[in-house]
Order: sequence, then structure tokens, then C-alpha cells
Amino acid sequence: MMRLSSSQKRGLMGAAALALILIAVGLSTLWFGSRYQVRLVYSAYVNLLVVLGLQVFMGNARITNLSHSAFMGIGAYAAAICVTPTNIKAISLPDAPWGLSAFTLDPITSALIALLITGIIAFLIGLFIVRMTGIGATILSLAVLVIVHSIFLYRTDIFKGNQAFFGIPQIFSLTSILIVSVLVVFIARGFRESRWGIQLRASADDEVGAVAMGVNIYRLRLIAWVLSGVLLAVAGISYAYFLGTISARPFYFNHVFLTLAMLILGGMRSVTGAVLGTFVISFGLEWVRWLETGPEVLGIDLPEVLGLSGIALGSVIVLTMTLRPGGIMGNREIEDLFLKRG
Amino acid sequence: MEYVAQQIMNALSFGAEYALIALGLAIVFSIMGLVNFAHGELIAVGGYTMVAFGALAIGNPLIVIIGAILAAALVSVTLERVAFRPVRYADPTTGLLTAFGVSMILQNIFLLAVSPRPVAVTSLYFLDWPVEVAGLRLSSLQLFEAATTVIVIIALTLFLRRSTLGLAMRAASLDFEMVRLTGIRANRVFAMAFLVSGVLAGLACIFILARRGSVDPHLGFNPVLKAFVACVVGGFGSLPGAVLGGFLLGALEVAMLVLLPQEYGGMKDALVFGVIAMVLIWRPDGILSPPVEKGDKL
Repeated sequence: MMRLSSSQKRGLMGAAALALILIAVGLSTLWFGSRYQVRLVYSAYVNLLVVLGLQVFMGNARITNLSHSAFMGIGAYAAAICVTPTNIKAISLPDAPWGLSAFTLDPITSALIALLITGIIAFLIGLFIVRMTGIGATILSLAVLVIVHSIFLYRTDIFKGNQAFFGIPQIFSLTSILIVSVLVVFIARGFRESRWGIQLRASADDEVGAVAMGVNIYRLRLIAWVLSGVLLAVAGISYAYFLGTISARPFYFNHVFLTLAMLILGGMRSVTGAVLGTFVISFGLEWVRWLETGPEVLGIDLPEVLGLSGIALGSVIVLTMTLRPGGIMGNREIEDLFLKRG
Repeated sequence: MEYVAQQIMNALSFGAEYALIALGLAIVFSIMGLVNFAHGELIAVGGYTMVAFGALAIGNPLIVIIGAILAAALVSVTLERVAFRPVRYADPTTGLLTAFGVSMILQNIFLLAVSPRPVAVTSLYFLDWPVEVAGLRLSSLQLFEAATTVIVIIALTLFLRRSTLGLAMRAASLDFEMVRLTGIRANRVFAMAFLVSGVLAGLACIFILARRGSVDPHLGFNPVLKAFVACVVGGFGSLPGAVLGGFLLGALEVAMLVLLPQEYGGMKDALVFGVIAMVLIWRPDGILSPPVEKGDKL
């Protein structure tokens, strides 16, 4: 039996509290929600997986990453290519090279292969990213995003570019993603409180100091980067397995900024912040979109205002950065709200 | 031979445009460490100003051009006051994200107030006519662009070396505390940096619109993304670095267009960004930036 430190015990409690909230939201949607609401909550949970994956690297190493949607895309496409039945691939990908359209695997094997592929790609890219700091690393991640997107668009024989890649079996339901997200919350929180997570956070506070204490920054950043990439692939796979259809467009700048805004609003240093930010923006944005269409409120016919959701999202980022750069939660986790500081 | 000379001229003209935008980014970054992603929206502001002049039936090219530059400069200074002052002393990441937010807001305001679709700007077509220099067929626009970039570089160098405020700006990029101790107002230095940056965006806007002939909410995004990359490659915050990076990127893009076989055309961006990534891995702080030890006071 492993001995847990007091912060790890608190972490376990915090993660359990978050899991309870996730389960409560999910189950109440399942029981009372309409079809439309189930889809809405599902997409919020996919974004939650993305934001949690992002938090693992950004929150601990505190380097802004802009390539996360690309990793989500890699995971989604890898799983989709493996799992789609051959008779559908014969229609949709007739010119696929390397016999990609000649085999079909079961969903679990496909998902594992997708995780492995994304992990390897993340590792190879990570070797370079972790050696840079600040803006340099952010630009490099931007380059990764653009390169991956160009490849999705260019190799239409494999990825179908901006056209829909269809025929992926829809095997995920809200219940499946609920289980996955609870698992990921524990992983993200566990990493934050682990020896690696603490050392990494220390190195983000004071790089020179941490190195002097014998922390191997590059190795730790690489671990966080790869773990983050794998979690993003989980998000991508969940996305593909639910919708049954994917295309390259959702894995580009718009999605990058949306999820980034979620993490920033909640507070990137804490897992609770990631969950809070995702829920606030996912549901808030849905409300703004409703306003955008020009509904009738209390007998007043509001005009149609396209672009309102973009303005709202931008304002959230600007206001958070000016008023509370640490986000709503700052450095706090959920258990700090009801437990005394240990 | 002629073909090569032609392509070199093309590369120079692309490079001049990137350098112009990159300079605008670098001057702000050198002073306050802000990666101003909203720079692209300043270019769009200039474009929409031209549309407004068109709607008012003011066709005088001088008024249109000066109006666009003034509008971009004005918005740039306003943004400094409203959005970027609170994050002035924050770390670069906070600034970068704020700028992303500002850029998102402005893009959607254009979308809301004008139109999501491209709007035609015809008042600048007169700038573009074919010229023949030493047997090379060029567009007058390319010459104007190259000339403007050279003039801008000379004017900026003179300003930064000869005027008090210019000296203060150079000093501010090294040690801002010291500059404030000498009695120079911080606000004035920042406002000046944003003013210069806005004027540069306005100039870039003229050339971009003369070539494209239309403006849409996302007009500035791609050029600024490229210019941003140029800055990073040259050495972020270094003005000569921004110019070098701009021309390097221009040369790289033209080389890709010329050397890549037709069917790989779609991979141009991927390859350009791939080369950029290589340069960054080789020199993480850019080509022209001095080596800095971690823990140095910046």
C-alpha cells in the first residue's frame, strides 16, 4: 500500500467531489434532458476532456500550448480510420495508401492504437517543445497546429480534408463519456499532486531554483506533455465515437481559442478551475447563442445579432486577464472551499 | 536568369510586406513584452475606414490613404489605453491571451457592424499598374511597397536614435525602471510605441488592400500570423530581427511556390511552418537576439 501525503489525500477528496458534480450533471441530463440537451451536455463533456488534457501541461508547466486541438484531431482520425468498417471505407476512402481501407478493428483496439499513435507523435514533438520556454514554446506549438491542419487538409485520400469522414460506429453515449471524464479528472488531479506534478509546478515558479534543487525539468515537462497529448486523444476519440462523423475544421483555431478561454476563465493552475471554466462557458455560450438569434423576451422582440458569441468569448478572455489573471479559482482547488488549509 | 530575377523581386515584395507588419509587432514587444495579436485587426480597421470613405463618396486617394493610416493609429492607441494598460507589467502569456481576446472582439464587431462577407474597396486600384524595369515585368505596387519599407526603416532608425522619446523607447526595452527614474513618463512611451505600431499597420493595410481589393473581418489574421512568425525567427523584440525575419519568410514562401511541384501546393504552409520550427529549435530566441542566461535581469 502506497503512503499518500496529506496534499495527495486532499487531492483525492477534491477529485471525488468534482466527480460527484460531473456525475450529478450527467445523470440529471440523462433522466430529464431532451435529445438536444443530451447532445449539448455531451459536447460540454468532450470540451471538458480537452480542457483537462490542456491543464495537465499548461497548468503545471505553465507554458501556453496552442496545439491541443491538433492532438485531439490526431486521436480522432487515428481511431476513425481503424474502426470504420471496410465496406464504408471502400466508398469514402477509395485511394487510401498503405492498405488503410482494407482492415477494420474493434472499437477498443482502435482507441488503444489511436492513443499509442498520438502518444508517440506527442513524444517526438515534445522532445523539442520542452527545451524552449515562454513565447518560443508557444510559437512552436502554433507551428505544430498549422502543420497538422495542413496535413489533414492536404491528404484528402486519408483524412478527407474539410469533407466529412463518415461511417464511424456511434458507440459512445453520455454514460460512457461520464465514466471517461470521471477517470480523467482523477488522472489530472493525481498528476497535479504527484511528485512529478509538484516538481513541475515548482519549476514553473522558479526555473533556476528548481534546477538547483536537482529537478530534471525537461524530463518532467516531457512527461506532462505526453500525458496531455494522450488525454487530448481520449477527447478526440470520444468526439468521433459519439458523432460518427468528423472533419478537419473543428480541430483548428476556433476550437483552440474556445477551450483556451475555458481554461483561462476557470484558472489554469487548478483542475477545479478547468471543470468550472468549461461548464460556465459551455452553458453560457449556449445562452448567448440563443440571444444571437434574436428571440422574444418578455414581449420585446430582440434583433438578430450575429457575432455576439464571439464578442462574449473575447470579453471573457480580456476581462479575466485584466481583473483576475489567475482565473476564478486561481491556485485553489475545490476542497479548499470546504476544508481548512492543511 | 530572367525568371530567377523575377522571383527574387517577388520574394522581396512579399518580404517587404511581412517586414512592415513584423516591425509593428516588434516595436510593441520590445517595450512591453506584449505579443499583439490584435495587430491584424488594426489592418482591418484601415480597410473598413476606406469602405466608409467610399460610402461617403470621398474618392481623393490622399484623403483615403491618410484617413486609413490615422484610423489604424487611433485605434491602436485606444487599445493600449483600454485593454493593454492593465496587463502592462504582466507576463508575456497574459498579454498574448489578452491580445487574442481583443482580436476576437474586434473581428466580431466588424462581423456585426459591417458584414461577415468581403466588402469591395476599389479606391486603391490606381496604385497598381505594370512597369518594366531592366527587362523585368513588375507591378508598380511592388516598387511602392519596397520603397515604403525602406523609408520606414530609415525613418524609424532616425526616430529611435535622434529623438528623446525614441531614445527613451530604446532604453525602455532594456530597463524600463531606469527610464522611469530619469523622469520620462511611462504612459507617453507606451502610447508612442502603439502609435508607431498603428501607423505601420495602416501602411501595410494600404498595400494589402490595393492587392486584394476587398476587406473582411478576418483580413488581418493570416498576414499577422506570418509576420508574427517572422518576428520570432528574427529574434522577438529586435527591430532589425523583424526586418530580417520578414524578408527571410518572403524568400521562403516564394521558394516554396517555385520549387514545389504543383500537386504539393497544399503543403506550402506546412513546409513554411516546418522550416520555422527548425530555426526555432536551432536558435530558440531567434536569429538576431543576444544570448540570455536564465535568471538574468531583463
